[in-house]
Amino acid sequence: MTILPYIGRRLLFIAPQLLGIVLVSFFLVKSIPGDPAVLMLGPTATPEAIASLRSKLGLDHSLPVQFWIYLKDLAHGDLGTSWQTTRPVLEDLVQRFPATLELVTLGLLVAVLIGVPLGLASAFREKGIIARIADFYGLGAGALPDFWLALVLIFVFYTLLQWAPAPLGRIDLAVIPPPPVTGMLTIDSLLAADWDAFRSAAAHLVLPVLTLGLVNAGPILKMTQSTMEKMLQSDFSRYEVLCGIPHRLVVRHALRNALPSVVTIISVLYGFLIGGAVLVEIVFSWGGAGQYAVQGVLNSDLYPVLGFVLFSAIFSLFVYLMVDLIYLAIDPRIGH
Amino acid sequence: MLTVTHSFEAERPRPAAVALGIERLRVEFPTVAGAPKVAVRDLDLSIRPGEILSLVGESGAGKTTLARSILNLPPSPGRVAAGSVRFGGVDLLQLAERELQRIRGRDLSMVVPNPRGELNPLLPVGDQIATIARVHLGKDKKTARAMALDMLRAVQIPDPERRMKAYPHELSGGMAQRVVIAMALVCSPKFIISDDATSGLDVTVQAQILDLLRRLAIERHSAMLFITRDVGITAHFCDRVAVIYDGEIMEIAPRESFFLAPRHPYTVMLLAAFSHNPRLRRGWTVSEAQRRTVDAAVGCAYADRCPRAQAVCRRVKPPLGELAPGHFARCHFPVERS
Repeated sequence: MTILPYIGRRLLFIAPQLLGIVLVSFFLVKSIPGDPAVLMLGPTATPEAIASLRSKLGLDHSLPVQFWIYLKDLAHGDLGTSWQTTRPVLEDLVQRFPATLELVTLGLLVAVLIGVPLGLASAFREKGIIARIADFYGLGAGALPDFWLALVLIFVFYTLLQWAPAPLGRIDLAVIPPPPVTGMLTIDSLLAADWDAFRSAAAHLVLPVLTLGLVNAGPILKMTQSTMEKMLQSDFSRYEVLCGIPHRLVVRHALRNALPSVVTIISVLYGFLIGGAVLVEIVFSWGGAGQYAVQGVLNSDLYPVLGFVLFSAIFSLFVYLMVDLIYLAIDPRIGH
Repeated sequence: MLTVTHSFEAERPRPAAVALGIERLRVEFPTVAGAPKVAVRDLDLSIRPGEILSLVGESGAGKTTLARSILNLPPSPGRVAAGSVRFGGVDLLQLAERELQRIRGRDLSMVVPNPRGELNPLLPVGDQIATIARVHLGKDKKTARAMALDMLRAVQIPDPERRMKAYPHELSGGMAQRVVIAMALVCSPKFIISDDATSGLDVTVQAQILDLLRRLAIERHSAMLFITRDVGITAHFCDRVAVIYDGEIMEIAPRESFFLAPRHPYTVMLLAAFSHNPRLRRGWTVSEAQRRTVDAAVGCAYADRCPRAQAVCRRVKPPLGELAPGHFARCHFPVERS
């Protein structure tokens, strides 16, 4: 097949795409008002101290020169230093990005497991009880803010029922986290065969994952439902009915045609949630990448923001590449 | 004519006189205004076993609605309001969906136009044909595929082994039409409905497909309702011709009688429209579609456009009268042979 050259071609384009993203985000972030030197030194700083810090940080150069320096550092794997954590951004992100990724991936998985079957079932019997539940759910999920749902879940399952652990981070303070391999606690604890750590990490995941899953199942459900309805009303489905093909099989064939749209919405949500799950991260003190980036924006801490943008851009490009490969597998018309 | 009774020497059971009998079929479309629009008006039509009946009419005459209503699947949001469709001893309109499913595509199948839109774009065409054989005849995968391959050969698709794996978008319109015919015929149905099956094709391909369809129908002893807008096609094709206008049969006659001695003014106009005879064309031009003034429930639906219409046509609906043996026309003032 021609699939390897295709992937190669796509990967070739990733470099210029990333460069464009870095360029745009660099100048956008730089245009946020606020001088990091002033913020770092506090209100009592002398102008001389500020000026010397500015020149130390390279802030006295013109913007294009600053950008050039940033690019050169990037080429050496240096994403800059966060003045808040006083650690290299790369180190921070390597620690935090997997936390977000784990949360978002599992959340999305739950969303798919809720949304797709409900959407299918409601398209299967348009006027059935499941269709009505699905309609209602789609409406509700679109109207609920995720942080509010998170708070409700915490109130019910932690405060009232005491089933869930305290919403304070990814693992119990008393449990020693497994040695980091992937950065995702569930996987790392499994790799280390550390069952206590796994249980604790999994228990901490339940509520935030449920929050993300319940909220994001809405768009997936709607997309599945509407695309399936469209496909079931299309000429080829009707012809199958005319040919006496059983309803179950007609639906199955229509599903394959509906799949690209469903995959698209899932991939869009995936890319979006890396940053979009930040409110849930905050509510559960998750310490993820989104939280890190938002703090960076609020404190004129430039490099964490840029690093986050770079990480999520790479991630999104990777997801979209995957999606295109899935299309390729589903739809024979795209092959060439 | 001599009538002979041989009740004692009937060697083989007489086939049912009617392959498909439509009686007083009425299909309505709801309208916002309230009174539903009647798309098929109390229509009677029966087709004999092995017979090819051509149904001619212009766009909007109710051809497709009729075709799909026979399978109890009128185009949405239409519904069958009354009537019956007798087929194989049962009334299709009274059957449960599950029983209908068993008949559709197996005993009574349909060939549709615009085949590339009617085929599932993501499945190889061989699979689509084989699926029908598997569903209806209970064949296993291998047998069904063999049947599909035979069918592709029967519809004369070149290189059928390779085409089995082809997707609809890889086929030409004519080739896709052949695939749809293969799907419709793979179960050797007793009855085939062809709904404007060749409308999207160019003339040479059209002729090939028609030939094929006719030959396969005859080989398999299938009766056929052949629906078309092109009255010229029917001349070479069918045993009888029926003309439909505004959901009603206007004229129905054996082929020779229909073309040599058309009786209904609308039929003459249709023939004139396809004719190369300038005198005929001048004499019978299609009048502009005016606003509807006749209530089709009361008078003749065609009266508004009819050059021969008189006052009575608007008040009294003409019956479908037998003007010659087997030749019926719905007209107060039928055209005499000139």
